[in-house]
Amino acid sequence: MSERVVGRPHPIIDAAEKVSGATVFIDDLELPDALTGMALRSPHPHARILRVDTSAAERLPGVAVVLSKNNTPDAPFGINHKDEAAFCREKVRYVGDEVAAVAAVDEATAREALSLIRVEYEVLPTVADPFAALEPGAPLVHDSVAGNVANEFHIRRGAIDEAFDEADATFADEFHTHLAHQAYIEPTGCAAQWHPDGKISVWGCLQSVFLIRTFMLAPVMGMSADDFRVTQTKPGGAFGGKLDVKAALMAAMLSRAAEKPVKFMMSLEEDLIAMRPRMPVHISLESAWKRDGALAGKRVRIVAENGAYSSLSPAIMSSIALRTDNLYKTPAAEIQGRLVYTNVIPSGQMRGFGNVQATYAWESHLDNVADGLGLDPADLRLKNYTEKGDVSLHGWKIASCAVADATRYVVDKMDWKARRARGGKGRGVGLASCIHVSGNKGFSVELGPDDTDPSSGVVRVDEEGKVEIWSGESDLGQGATSVMAYIASEVMGIPVERFKVPPTDTGYMPFGMGAFASRITLIGGNAVKLAAEDARRNLLDAAAEAMEIPADELEIAEGEVRAKALPERKMAVGEVVGRAGGVIEGEGKWLAGGDVLDKEKFGNPSTTYSFSTHGAEVEVDMETGVVTVLQVCCGHDPGRVINRLGAEGQVEGGVVQGMSYAMMEGLAPLEGRLRGRNFHDYLIATSMDAPPIEHDFFESMDPYGPYGAKGLAEVAINPITAAICNAVYHATGGARIRTLPVTPERVLEAIEEAGR
Amino acid sequence: MSTYEIKFSVNGNDESLAVRGDETLLRALRRVGYVEVKLSCEGGDCGACAVLLDGVAVNACLVFAAQADGAEITTVRGIGTEDDLHPVQEQLIEKGGVQCGFCTPGIVVSAKALLDENAAPSREDIQRGLAGNLCRCTGYKKIFEAVSAAARQISEGGGS
Ligand code: FES
Ligand code: FES
Repeated sequence: MSERVVGRPHPIIDAAEKVSGATVFIDDLELPDALTGMALRSPHPHARILRVDTSAAERLPGVAVVLSKNNTPDAPFGINHKDEAAFCREKVRYVGDEVAAVAAVDEATAREALSLIRVEYEVLPTVADPFAALEPGAPLVHDSVAGNVANEFHIRRGAIDEAFDEADATFADEFHTHLAHQAYIEPTGCAAQWHPDGKISVWGCLQSVFLIRTFMLAPVMGMSADDFRVTQTKPGGAFGGKLDVKAALMAAMLSRAAEKPVKFMMSLEEDLIAMRPRMPVHISLESAWKRDGALAGKRVRIVAENGAYSSLSPAIMSSIALRTDNLYKTPAAEIQGRLVYTNVIPSGQMRGFGNVQATYAWESHLDNVADGLGLDPADLRLKNYTEKGDVSLHGWKIASCAVADATRYVVDKMDWKARRARGGKGRGVGLASCIHVSGNKGFSVELGPDDTDPSSGVVRVDEEGKVEIWSGESDLGQGATSVMAYIASEVMGIPVERFKVPPTDTGYMPFGMGAFASRITLIGGNAVKLAAEDARRNLLDAAAEAMEIPADELEIAEGEVRAKALPERKMAVGEVVGRAGGVIEGEGKWLAGGDVLDKEKFGNPSTTYSFSTHGAEVEVDMETGVVTVLQVCCGHDPGRVINRLGAEGQVEGGVVQGMSYAMMEGLAPLEGRLRGRNFHDYLIATSMDAPPIEHDFFESMDPYGPYGAKGLAEVAINPITAAICNAVYHATGGARIRTLPVTPERVLEAIEEAGR
Repeated sequence: MSTYEIKFSVNGNDESLAVRGDETLLRALRRVGYVEVKLSCEGGDCGACAVLLDGVAVNACLVFAAQADGAEITTVRGIGTEDDLHPVQEQLIEKGGVQCGFCTPGIVVSAKALLDENAAPSREDIQRGLAGNLCRCTGYKKIFEAVSAAARQISEGGGS
C-alpha cells in the first residue's frame, strides 16, 4: 500500500469552519423577509376530524396563509405505502399528526394563529399496542387496512423442518425493543422560496436532496421534480432521521400559497414527537444446533410496530428479518414478519436500519445457546461465521470478510478467557458481531430512478489550482465528503487543502441517492474516484500541450505537473488549467453491484458487506441493578480505512450512541402519548457516560471498494447493545435482558428470574 | 409584555437592542446575528447555546436577555475564528473532536471556561466540565483528547 493520503489520519475538511461557529445550519440561513411556518398537531392519538375552522386564524393580522385539508388536495404519499397526507383528512392517527399549518410574519403571530384554529374531533378508541392491534375487532388505524397489517411475509428456505427434527439441541427466546429517537442535537427544519415562474427553492438539513423531491415534494404538490431546486444545509446530525422530512413539504406548500419565502423550524419537542424514530420490534427466535456447535437452522417471527404511517418501515422489517442469517453459515431458515399499524408516532429508520434491533435479539440468543451447549460464546461464533466467497442461503455474496479477525482481536485485548472464567460476581464480559450492507439495491427501486443504485461525481479544477467535488451524495456531519476529498486528492496528486465539497444541490450537481444504508464510501467514493481519474487524465493532456512533453511522461504531485524524468520541468496545476481555458473537469459514474431481491426476498442486495465485533465489560450492582459499562473493545472490517481519524470517530460515536440506546433512551409511549419531550426526559449519553473505547480496523481490502473501502457507519453501532446484554448475563450468572432498555428495574427482574 | 432597552458587548462589539421581558439571551443574540450560538433544546439540557457571560459559561437559553444588560458576552467566535484559532479549536480539529459541528460552539465555550479555571484537567475533570454539553456524533473520546491536548498546548505557551 503506497498511498500518500488514503489510510492516514486527517481532520474532516470543514473542521475549521465548524469549530469557529461559522457553519450555516438551516436555522442560521438568512432568507430576507421569510415568514415563520408552524404546524398545528393533533393532541389525540386517534380521532375523527369533524371540522377544521381556520377563519379566525386567517383574519389575524400578520398571517399570510393557513393550510389544512380544507384548501389542499388529497394527495397521499409515502416511500413504501402511500398512506400519509400533507394534512390529516378524515382522521388524526397519532399525537403530533399535522392538522394545519400557518405562515406568519413572526413566531408569536404564528403561534397565536395556531391557537385560533378550531378543530372539532370525535375521539376514537386508541390502539397503541401492536398485539392488541392484531386482535380481531381491534380499532382500525387506516379504515381501508383490515387487521391493521401494513405488510406481511413468510419465507421458508432450506430443509427447515428436518433441521429442527434432527437437531441435537434447540433453543427459543423472545426479545422486545423500544421506540428510540435519532436525537441529533440540531432540531429539524427546512426553508422554501416560491419563485414567480412557479419553481420552488428548498433548503434543509436533508440526507437526500434528490429523493425528497420524488417521493414527497413533487407528488404531493402536483409538480415535477425539476420544479424544485433542493439544497442541503449541513445537518447537525441525522443518523437516518433526516431522510423522510415532512418539514420540507410544509415549508414548500406554505411558501407556494403565500408566494413568499417561509422557514419551517421544528422545536426539539416537535422533533421528538413527530419525526420518524427507530422502530420498536418484537422478535421470537428458535434455533436448531448440532452438538459440536454448528448452526442447523432458525425460525424467526417478527411483529414490528409501524406506528401511524409506514415511511420506510416495510423495508426495515425485511432487514430485521433476514440480516443476521447472512452473518453465520445458516443452512435453513423460516421467517415470518408482520408490520402493524398503531396510533403511535410513525416509526422509521435510524442508523442500523433495523439491524441494531435484529443484532440485539440474535446475538443475545447466541449467548444463551452457547451456555446451553456448554461452549464459549466467542468460539461458537468463530465456528459459524460466514467467510469470503460464501453465498448465504438468502443469496448474499460475501466479497470480503474479516469478522473472525475482529473477534479474535476483541478476545485477545479483553483477556477474554481469563475474564470469562471469572464472571457471575457482578462483573462480566460479553461480545457480539454483525454484518451490514454497503448500499442496498432495494432503495434504488423504491426511491431512486431505476434498479442501478447509481452515483455520479464531477471533479472541477480551476485556474488557481483549487478543486471542487460535486457529488449528489451528502455529508451528514460524519465526514463523508471528506472521504471523497481524500480519495480525489490521492488520485490527483493535489493537496487536500485545495479541495472543497459543497453541500448537495439538485440545481447543478449530478444525481446521487444520498446518505443512507452505509452507501457513500463505496458507491459515492467509487464515482468520485472515477471522476478524479478522468480529471487527472484531462489535466495531463492539457499539461502535455502546454509543456510540450507527452502526457505519459508526466505526473502530478503536490499540486504540480512534473516531467517524470526531469522533475525541474514542472507547471502548477492552476497554470495548466489557466492555459487550457480556466476549467478542467472530470466525470465519473458508478452503478452498484448486487441484485434487486425477488418476491421471496432472495438475492444479493448489496455490492459487498461490512462486519464488526464489539466487546463490553460491565459491572452490575446486584442490589440495585445499576449497570456500568467499564470498557468497550471492538474490531471493524470497513474493507479499507480511507481517513483513519474519521473512521475512528465513526466507531467511537457509534458505540456511545448504541450504548445510549441500550441503556437510557426511550420515547416511552403510554397509550400513544410520548413521554420523551426534551433532553431531560429523553436522556442520551453525556460525557459522564462515555466509556473508554479501545478498537482497531481489520482491512479485508474489498475487491469492489475504492482502495478496498466499504461502509462503516452502521457496523459501528449494531452489536454494542447485545455485547452489553451478554456482559450483564455473564456478570450476573444468567440475567437475560429480553426487553430494552437495560434499566435497573429490568436487570433486577432478570436477576430474580435467573435465580428461580 | 414590556420591552427593555439594553446594552451589552458581544465579542467586544457594543450592541444596544430592545428586548421583550420574556426573550432569552439565546433568542436575542441570534436575532441580532450571533447565530454561532446554537438553538436546540431551549431548556438548559444540551449546552449548544453556551456563551461566556462576564467570563462564566452559561446556557444562553436559561438567561433572559434583560438580565444580561451591561454584561460582557463571549461566543465561540470571540474565542477564536478560522484565521485565529484558540488551542481548544485547533485541537478539536487535529484530534477529530468535531463531526457535524452543531454541538461544537458550545463545547468550545465550556472547554475554554474549564481551562481558564483548571490549567491541567484530568480526564474526569474534563468529563465533568463538559457534562452539560451533549454531543451525539463523536462519542466524546476525541473531544476529551482535544481538551487535554489544548491544556498542554496552552501551558507550553502555544496561545491562550
Ligand atoms: S439550547 Fe440552551 S441548553 Fe440547549
Ligand atoms: S459533533 Fe455532532 S453533535 Fe457533536
